[in-house]
Order: sequence, then C-alpha cells, then structure tokens
Amino acid sequence: MLKEFLFDICSEQFVAGFEHLNGHILTKYFEPYTDSLEKDNLGSYIFKAKGTNERKIMLAAHIDEIGLMVTKILEGGFLSFTSVGGINPASLVAQEVTIFGKENIFGVIGIKPPHVTSEEERKKPLKLKDLYIDTGYTKEEVEKIVKVGTIATVKREAIALQGSRISAKALDDRAGVAVMLETAKELKKISHKSNIYYTATVQEETGQRGAYASGYKINPDIAIVLEVGFGKTPDMPSHSPGLGKGPIVSYGGRFNPKLTKKFVEICKKYNYPMQYEVVPARTGTDAEALQINREGVPCILLSIPLRYMHTSVETVDLADIEITGKAIARFINELDNSDLEEILCF
Amino acid sequence: MFNSDLMKKLSNCFGPSGREKNIRELITNEIKDYADEITTDPLGNLIVRKKGNGKKILFTAHMDQIGLIITHVDEKGFLRFSNVGGLKAKEMLGLRMVFDNGLEGVICKEELKNNEKLSMSKLYIDVASTDKEFVKKNFRLGDMCVFKSEYYETEDCVVCKAADDRIGCYILIDAIKNHPATDNDVYYVFTVQEEVGLRGAKTAGYSINPDLAIAIDVTATGDSPDGIKMDVKLGGGAAIKIKDNSIITHPEVKDLLTYLAEKNNIKYQYEILEFGGTDAGAIHTSREGIPSGVISIPTRNLHTSGEIFNKSDVEECIKLVIAAAQ
Amino acid sequence: MFLKELTELSGVAGCEYEVRDYIKSKLREIGCEFYVDKLGNVIAHNKGRKNKTIMVAAHMDEVGLIVKHIDSDGFIKFDAVGGIDQRVLNSKAVLIGENKIAGVIGSKAVHLMTQEERGKSLPIDKLYIDIGSTSKEETEKLVSVGDYVSFKSDYVEFGNNLIKAKALDDRAGCSVILELLSMKLDADFYGVFTVMEEVGLRGAVTAAYQLEPDFGLVLEGTVCADMPEVEDHNKSTIIGKGAALSLMDNTTVYDIDIVRNIAKIAEEKNIQYQYRTSSAGGNDAGVIHKSKEGAKVMSISVPCRYIHSPVSVASKDDYNNVVKLAKEIILESQKGE
Repeated sequence: MLKEFLFDICSEQFVAGFEHLNGHILTKYFEPYTDSLEKDNLGSYIFKAKGTNERKIMLAAHIDEIGLMVTKILEGGFLSFTSVGGINPASLVAQEVTIFGKENIFGVIGIKPPHVTSEEERKKPLKLKDLYIDTGYTKEEVEKIVKVGTIATVKREAIALQGSRISAKALDDRAGVAVMLETAKELKKISHKSNIYYTATVQEETGQRGAYASGYKINPDIAIVLEVGFGKTPDMPSHSPGLGKGPIVSYGGRFNPKLTKKFVEICKKYNYPMQYEVVPARTGTDAEALQINREGVPCILLSIPLRYMHTSVETVDLADIEITGKAIARFINELDNSDLEEILCF
Repeated sequence: MFNSDLMKKLSNCFGPSGREKNIRELITNEIKDYADEITTDPLGNLIVRKKGNGKKILFTAHMDQIGLIITHVDEKGFLRFSNVGGLKAKEMLGLRMVFDNGLEGVICKEELKNNEKLSMSKLYIDVASTDKEFVKKNFRLGDMCVFKSEYYETEDCVVCKAADDRIGCYILIDAIKNHPATDNDVYYVFTVQEEVGLRGAKTAGYSINPDLAIAIDVTATGDSPDGIKMDVKLGGGAAIKIKDNSIITHPEVKDLLTYLAEKNNIKYQYEILEFGGTDAGAIHTSREGIPSGVISIPTRNLHTSGEIFNKSDVEECIKLVIAAAQ
Repeated sequence: MFLKELTELSGVAGCEYEVRDYIKSKLREIGCEFYVDKLGNVIAHNKGRKNKTIMVAAHMDEVGLIVKHIDSDGFIKFDAVGGIDQRVLNSKAVLIGENKIAGVIGSKAVHLMTQEERGKSLPIDKLYIDIGSTSKEETEKLVSVGDYVSFKSDYVEFGNNLIKAKALDDRAGCSVILELLSMKLDADFYGVFTVMEEVGLRGAVTAAYQLEPDFGLVLEGTVCADMPEVEDHNKSTIIGKGAALSLMDNTTVYDIDIVRNIAKIAEEKNIQYQYRTSSAGGNDAGVIHKSKEGAKVMSISVPCRYIHSPVSVASKDDYNNVVKLAKEIILESQKGE
C-alpha cells in the first residue's frame, strides 16, 4: 500500500502555494485511519485521530514540492520560468514537463545544441533564465492556455527500482507523508490515548510558512517532524547515512534532547534500525517553525534517507518508511503510558 | 486626478526605517477627518480603522524609506555610515543625502588600491564644512539621512525618491477618503520598518488578526534595459502579485483580486518578483495563518533617488483597493 | 508512420537488434525482399523500373550509454556511445541491457553544492546510475560491464503537430524508408537500414560497398536550433518549415546541381522544404559518396530540436514532407529517358 500511495501522490502536483488542488488523494488514503480533516487558513491538511485524553501530538510532513512558474510567454510558444523552491538548473535540462494551465499541456526543456554553444559557454553554470519550456504551440495559442504565474513540474512517473527502492519526483517530502500514513495505520491497530494530528503542511520549500500557521492552530504538546535526509551516494563522505538503514535521528538545538533520547530507546527496545545526524543550528525543516510556536513545542526530527534531493529522480527505500512509521507508533504508545511532563522536564 | 501636491509631500517627508515620526504625523493629518478610530501601536504602526460588523480586512502600506545611519563622525566633517534597508555601495557614489535637520552631505569614496572593490567601508559623507564646531553640533552617531532629490513629473509618470512605498501610502490615503459603503471592518495600516525586515507588519498582523490582508507596495518591472526579466510594465495597470521571496499569494486572494479587477473593468497584470518581499510575507504566517495578497505599483529604478511610476497605474490600484474593501 | 514503435525501442550504436528485429518483421508484413549483411545492416530491395542503382539509407542506431564499471556499493559507472552532450544526463531515467533494468542518473542534492557547483553540468566520469541495488553483488546479478543503456522516454504528441521522443535521429529516417517500401513504387531502389552511424558511419561503408549505388539518398533527423536567443543564421533548420535539404556538412559537400534539382521537384510538387544552413555534423552520405568509384548523394532531413537528448522534438508535417519528397526523387530518378 505504501508503494501504491507514493506512486499515486508523487504523480500529482503540490507545488508550494498550489497545494489545494489535489487534496482528494490525501483524503482517500488517510480517511480510513482518522476521524476528521480540517484545512487551515494557509491550506495545510490536518487529519485528526481522536484520543481519550487531552494530549495533542502533531506529526508534520510537508506535502509541497519544488516546481516551476511561468514568468513570460515568448515568440514561438517558448516559456521563461522561475523556480518555486530551490532547484539546480542543471537538473532541468532535457526534461519533460507538465504545464498546469487552463488545461494541462506537455512541454520539454531543451538546450541549444552544441554547434551554437561554445565550449566555454557549455562549461558555464546554467541559470534558470537560460532555460525555456518548449510548448510546441505558437505564442498566440499558448497565451490562451498559460498565463504568467502558471506552474509546471517535471513530468516523471515513479519508477520501481530493485528490491524496495523507488525513484520519483517529490519524494521530498511525500516520503514523510507516507511515514504518517504508516503510523496512522499502525496506531489504528494498537489504539492510542493521545489526540494525533497528522499534518501535511504547505509551503515548506519556500520557508516553512505552512508550519507556522498549522502549529499555531493545533498548539500541540509535542511535534514529530518527518523529513527526508541526504542518503549516501558515491560523491558523499563515507559516514553519511545510507538507504535501508532506518530513519535518521537528528541531534541539535532545534530538537528536544529528552524526547529524542526516548525515541532512540524505543527503537533499540523494539529492534528498529536507525541512524544519526547532527544539525547544530538551522535545519531547513518544519521544526524551524514548530519549535518556536506559541510558548514553544518540543520537537523531534526523523528523516528518511533520500538520494538526489530536489531532482526528478529522488530515490528512497520503502523499508525505511515502514520502519519509521512503526517506530513512531510504538513511541506514541509508550508516551501514552508515561508522564510526558516528566520526560520533557529539563 | 492625480494629486501631485500630496505625492510630493509624502515623497519629501523624512522617514527612514525606525524614524517614521514625521511621516506618521503627515499621514495622520491627511486622514484624521475620515477615520473612525486612529491608533499607534508600540512599534509605531499607524492603524486607521473604518468600523463595520462584517469581515475584518487589513490593508497595509509601509511608511518607512531606505536611508543611511551614521556610524562614525570625525571632526573634519567626514561621516561614516551603514545602510538602513537595501542599498549597495556601487550605487551610492556621488549621491546627495539629507538629514532630518535639513542639513546635507555628499557621498564620496576613498582612493581604491589595486582594483580593490568598492565597499561601504570605503565610502564617506562629506558635510561640506571646515568648521569643527558646526560638525560637532549638527552631526551625531545614529543620525539617519535619506536621498535628496527633487520631485518631477511628466504627463503620465512621476519621478521621486521613496515612491517605495509612499505611493502605497498615497493609495491608502485616497482609499480612506473614498471608503465605500460596506459592512466590513476595515483596517488601513501604515506600517514601520518594512525595509529592514517586514517588522511593523508582523506585529500589526498579529494584533489585528484579520480574515484577509492585502499589502500595497511597489514592484520591479521588466520593461527597461536594466536586465530584470519579468512581465510587469509601466502603464500595464495594477499588478496582482503571484509570488515573491516572502509570499506565494493565497490562491483565493489571487482569484478574488482577479475577479474584482475584471468585474470593475480595472486594468491589471500578474506579477512574479524573483527577489524581495513585502509586508504580506510577515502577515500571512501570523497566528493561524492569514490569507494574504499584494497589489503592486509597477516601479522602475527601485531603491534609488529617482523611482519612476505611472499615474494611471496608481488610479487602477486605488480602484482595486476600494473594490477589495467593499 | 512507424515513429512511436521505432523510437520506443532501444538501439544504442553497436546494439541495434531490437530495431532490426522490428524492421525485419515489418518488411515481412510489407512483403519486401531483404537480407541482413555481416555488420547487421538490413538491406531491402524494392523492385521496379530502373535506370540506375539507388540506395536510400537511414541509420537504426541511436546515441546512448554503455556500462563501464560496477563500484563497490553497486552503483554503475558508464561511458557515452556517440555524441552526447553531458548537460543532458542529469536526473534522467534509463533502461539497462537486454532485460531493461530500470535505473536513474542522480546528482548531488543542490543543498550540498557550493555556489560554484550549482548549475554546472558534471562530466560523465563523475556520474553514475543507481538501480536501487544494495551491493556490488546484487548489481552484478542484473547488469554486466558492456551492457548498453538507453534513455527511458515515451513517444508523446504535443503542441502543433509535434512529437517528442528519443532517437528521432534517425528512427525518423527508418520510418520514412518503411513507408516508401510499403508504397510498392514502380521504381527500383534499395532501402538500407544501417548500423553504427553514431560511432563513425560504420554500417554505411559496407552497405555501399555491396550495392555500388549510382545515387545515395540519406534520410536523417538533423539539428534544429530555432529557440529563443539563437540568432537566425545559427538556427540550422526551423521546425515546421519542411524537409531540410543539406548543402554541406563535415563529411560531404553536396553536388549543387542535385540540390537545386531536388528543390525544383519540391516546388513543382508543392512540398515544403528548407535548406540546412549549418555545415556542422555529418552522416552516412559521407561514406557512401566515397565508396569504390564514388557516387552522387543527397541528404534530406527532419529537423529535430534537442537532438541527441532524451527529449528530441520534431514536426509530423516536416516528417511527411520528407516522405513525399523522397518518393518524388525516387520516381523522378527512375522515370526513364
């Protein structure tokens, strides 16, 4: 089911700022395991599973993805564009895109062929403004479908690789959303006392903007932030966390040390594999916003190892998602039976 | 009709970020006969309310302008400074600056050695006096100064300093004077310290906590040889922002503004700014989140002593603000 | 038109069997006599009225990649087969070997790049393919050194009668020849599907040697740079402006009388054409005209934007104009005295 969910949801667009269009997919998968859905003012999806006590636990994973936005329509039906979130322009060359205009249309991002590109020019770093989307229409035709501000994404069907590994666009952070789904499924089985808020936040890629609002609205006792982390590839140091070895647990000032310790203990107790990373300051995750929400929210950050972040071939191991989802369910179960104040007390 | 006198007054009024007293007084005088309630919050935001029982709507325009703050004064009359808001060293050479007390100075540079790059620390202000006593008496650490430049206009356009965002203030003043009959509870807020990080808007958004917020600010254009690639142009009408570095306009707000423009025959264009931000950026992440958007006035030559905008665009912006208030 | 089927097959230079098998089966359906030579070229013969030997050639192979090494973590290092611009490799899906094992060419996360690295394309020796394997042993069970790798790219129709596919260079030519053969013209010609054009015009050498043509007509997908910020004189060809007639390239200077004559035929028959205004690149014509005692040659091409990338774009109208023009040239050549 995890694979089906990810193949489904990664094929749709949730570009930051435009997450309101495809929410039905989330509903379809989360509804069976939760009691209610509420969308907050900025559009984050909050699925609540009611508990029996007053405690509120927020799980947060961002649903938004990086994307492209049309800035100008040129002669010949070419489109200039900018990015929504951080993209390496080099990863866009020779890609197919879907343009979400009045209707969805197909386009490609090509580059000038070598014979009109000097050796020097080819070595120069590409900038977004050097790239164009080719729509195949005339300017007049495309103006009827596309406007300044229309968004586009790289068109990429999810690919099943060997074993339990898959490759797709937007696994940052649909992998985190998938963890929430796994936890929801698990908690439905073993029941829970706390109220659980599975929150698919918006606009993380443009500065954790959704998490500010949804954190304020939910006002949770603790938050578990689910993200993706840099999974080891040949161009990274040998100690980097690898795929298939469990969630990456973060240490640093943004995370509550005792809550983090408790999670690690539970992983050990139940034999869930895990890995560590150290993030002393800025994390670039929803924890940035949630930790300083209202009076403050103790957070932990768990990341699914992912290769080739912010490209259209992001790669994860489904086993990591499953393990993390289950470990969180266990963690919540243990918290339900302990004195949270005591755990959080400094 | 464009009120050149008012715009001239607004542009010439001293008010760099954090020193908005004069401009606040000027605006208060302009609108005091039209408001139901006028307050100033702890940061200095001027909050003008037109009461109603309906939806709470917030409009903002920032009062502050970019400028310089004096960081060192030597007895010979040379002042060192740091920037208040977005100003670059290479764009400052030779500029005339004016202080709150009306005194002036000109920006000069030290000799540069071996292709050394021009930086702020190589610049100084010469206050044109050899009288040590005069310098000591009139220039102190922490003083601020702003561009000195004369207001000028043609048939269709205006050139002046601090159009960013006094033209936004102009639009809100006009909107307050022509406030439509409505149930809505409308707050027109003239914010402080936008140029140093959207600070005034942050607290105003929190305390008012509106159902809808719209910032009125200037935006860049892509219609001159300065190399900025964007679709916005002077004379193209009110610009409805889609995105900048501080906000992606809430889809419902974008749709609302588009709908209002089309319904009321207001000329508009969509705007994507690939840098910068506005008050809406700070407001929309306030509390539980506030659906927010921006109406922009296309302006060339931003953050210089001669910002250029088109009078007809201003008229369209005013119409759109009034339509939104309703 | 056989473009969808042809472009979705893998046929990296030196490994054209999928394309060859497809063409063979089509030739059987058409009922056309053919044989396969020692290098793997498919040589079909359309019999009819004849006053000279005509060879119509298109190459079956495409540019792609080949597996060079499997590293200790199971990642695959590769080399380019044919002229691949390294800039097009970042973040692509690929298929490896006979069993078409799915893989991706990733790249470092933009977050981990220095400002200098951003936007830069990496040379091939810094890239690798990830098939999701956890070890060298696992990869070795599925992939071997020497396996050919092709881009995964579906045939898509879009815009104004345009298509996007990989390998339009030169499945477009293959498709044209299949169409010509299925017309059963009363004009004699050999339809030749060559191998290994992209790695040095290899197949055409032996094919021309065997056939000793008087006239060689090469059908190609050719470079087209009609995109923003390219000056007119650098565009080479323009999409939608018709069949592109070559004047000169790196391998051939075309006989100007033949070129003008073909332009005249196009005008008479109302077939849209343009000249290929670049002299870069080369094709099978280069070896055909120098074979044995020599031969007259001509190249007619379908303009392809983003050629040699997984997202080549061509116009169906241009393609159809190439079909029509090639047909008229053959008929005209064998008309008799």
